Amino acid sequence: MNHSFKAGDKGKIVDLSHVSQLVQRRLLDLGITEGSEVCVKCVMPFGGPIMIESCGQCIGIRRKEAIQMEVVKI
Amino acid sequence: MEIALIGNPNTGKTSLFNNLTGSYEYVGNWSGVTVEKKVGVFKNTQGHLIDLPGVYTLNPLSKDEGVVTSFFLTESVDRLLNILDASQLERNLHLTLQLLEFEKPVLIGLNMVDVAKKRGIQINSAKLSAFLGVPVVPVVARNGKGCDKLVDVISTKSMKPVKKNLVYYGKEVEAAIAAISAVIEGKTEHSQRFLAVQYLEGNEYVKNYLHQIADAMKLSSILSNLESELQNRYDCKSLANFIYLKRKETIEKIAAAVAVKTDTVIPLTEKIDSIVTNKYLGIPIFLLLMYLMFMLTFDWLGTPLSDMLDAFLTGPITNLFESALTAIHASAFIHALIIEGLVAGVGGVLVFVPQIFILFFFISLLEDSGYMARVALVMDRIMESVGLNGKAFIPMIIGFGCNVPGIMAARTIETPKERLLTILLTPLMSCSARLPVYALFVGGFFAGHRALVVLSLYVLGIVVALTLAKVFSSTILKAETSLFVIELPPYRLPQFQSLWRSTWDKGKGFIRKAGTFIFAGSVFIWLLSYAGPNGLNVDMDHSFLAAIGGVIAPILAPIGFGTWQAAASLITGFLAKESIISTMNIIYFVPKDSNLQGLLANYYTPLAAYSFMVFILLYIPCLATTATIYKETGSKKWTAFAIGYALVIAYVLAFLIYQGGKLFGLV
Ligand SMILES: Nc1nc2c(ncn2[C@@H]2O[C@H](COP(=O)(O)OP(=O)(O)OP(=O)(O)O)[C@@H](O)[C@H]2O)c(=O)[nH]1
Ligand SMILES: [Mg+2]
Repeated sequence: MNHSFKAGDKGKIVDLSHVSQLVQRRLLDLGITEGSEVCVKCVMPFGGPIMIESCGQCIGIRRKEAIQMEVVKI
Repeated sequence: MEIALIGNPNTGKTSLFNNLTGSYEYVGNWSGVTVEKKVGVFKNTQGHLIDLPGVYTLNPLSKDEGVVTSFFLTESVDRLLNILDASQLERNLHLTLQLLEFEKPVLIGLNMVDVAKKRGIQINSAKLSAFLGVPVVPVVARNGKGCDKLVDVISTKSMKPVKKNLVYYGKEVEAAIAAISAVIEGKTEHSQRFLAVQYLEGNEYVKNYLHQIADAMKLSSILSNLESELQNRYDCKSLANFIYLKRKETIEKIAAAVAVKTDTVIPLTEKIDSIVTNKYLGIPIFLLLMYLMFMLTFDWLGTPLSDMLDAFLTGPITNLFESALTAIHASAFIHALIIEGLVAGVGGVLVFVPQIFILFFFISLLEDSGYMARVALVMDRIMESVGLNGKAFIPMIIGFGCNVPGIMAARTIETPKERLLTILLTPLMSCSARLPVYALFVGGFFAGHRALVVLSLYVLGIVVALTLAKVFSSTILKAETSLFVIELPPYRLPQFQSLWRSTWDKGKGFIRKAGTFIFAGSVFIWLLSYAGPNGLNVDMDHSFLAAIGGVIAPILAPIGFGTWQAAASLITGFLAKESIISTMNIIYFVPKDSNLQGLLANYYTPLAAYSFMVFILLYIPCLATTATIYKETGSKKWTAFAIGYALVIAYVLAFLIYQGGKLFGLV
């Protein structure tokens, strides 16, 4: 994802390999992997985490990890 | 018959457990409420039901998830009751497929059908059952709908999975599975296919298990051969990922056939979320809620109720005891023991029951609504800056009720260093047993600003915890990795009944403790204050209690309360924080027509009173908490450290407050 997140941004994950191993594993547990569609719901201030939605469930992840995801707009 | 409940986190396993066994275990609307195995007995059929922590897969990351995997490997279970969240079917089925590989009888409880329906998802349970080859029963664990049917199926059907190998992992992986099965053949009673697949996925627990029972070299070489083969042929990321994708293919097929989705309106959850996790309002809203909670507990509602109870206990109840004692011609000793020891000691603690229940009610509300995970999200930025992650805030909030479950809740934190840090710092959260001390002192010294003064103490606890987190995480507990991924469950309107039950469940412990621990303690303390080196019925200043307290009192003088009375109550406070109050009630035994609050003004200045409260907040984890720290860390060293740092920081802060306050001319 690009560096400035906005609530309402939508996209499809194309590459997760730059995200740290542990985070990848947890995202996988939650059913988020390459090919999943995600949507930014909220952005916390001061570089805080962001809340994304995928398949009807909401997940909070840190911004620095979200930045590592490669997402294409749909 | 042993039946294990297993499913993804927050799918309603414990709700169902409570429903089927009539017990009351901890339920809350976030992932990771249950962190230990719990056993219950079925209401009307025979057999045990075992509640387990929620897991996404059998390959664990955190300690609570490890509980499930080791349960599978080391304990015998007859049947598995797999709970699925109907509104998240696809994600939930990953676990189901692994369970089916385990080849034990499985029954599926399709839970949250009400939630799914609201989202426009309809699941055909008959079709799902046909696909998986096991019975599927739709239920709503929250209100018990469908539970009868579930019990019926549990006790009658055999449930042996009829279809084997639902997932075909591709010919290379299947060959490796066959090879591993051959190596472990006859060495284990568990399903070989299950063990083989878990081994290939990189499950540490299974790896340790297999390496113990079979040739580790052979197994490792099968694994590495497979990995390089897949790498060359398919250019896949990892073996675990390859297996995951194969399962996903199967699941997509199943889901397409059994689930019907229709479009619906935007759920209320998202509207609430846009406010409580708002960019700027998130933290202020949290603080405002905390403030409301304190106003209700200490000002608007709690104090009047406590005062009423106090009047009742010191008036009619004491009179009742008095007249009963006179009627039976009790000796002066018995009379004093009952009135000055038990009624004062136990009654002095029971008075605070209304305030404690209000606090617990709020904590239950926080837990059941779904706000808990949001608080973790809102707090993550601050927690990250001190070397923790937002999830560590959940144990801390639970710690406001009681530190023991708070420390247990730290099990869901995945990285060991962050978990240890959370365990060490949770005791700084002001638990409900410390509340009576505050209530007593703010009533006596800060009557105009009760809630604000108490809030300052709670906030101080958090600030000290965060500061120490920073210090520890940059010195003795440097963590290399940090992980923060949190599931945010949809909001659920808490039902009054379940709120009440969980409030009662927490409050019950407080009352029970008053009736047992505090009861016995009061007798003991009273005896110590009644007897002295010179015999019985001595003046209290010459009692054993005064002698013991007197040893420590000089050390406490620089922080404002160098009296033997304060010292003696602090010592008993290690056993349980409520004992501080019962001890004070006994020591400063109050003549009928005055009250303890008024009396305390002779012994403390307002500044000393604040210093005393700060000291109580921080000085030592109580006995039960210390035991839990030891159990969870498994280390005497860290347990001693938890006690030691708390004493030091409490003394230093109380010293700064008292001496600093005096410098500024406060009294
Ligand atoms: N609407 C609805 N809510 C439910 C249902 N079952 C459980 N809940 C709610 O879901 C939340 C989670 O329930 P728990 O029983 O604690 O879930 P769990 O699976 O034990 O969770 P962990 O212990 O964290 O794995 C609670 O707020 C329940 O009130 C249901 O069928 N319908
Ligand atoms: Mg549970």
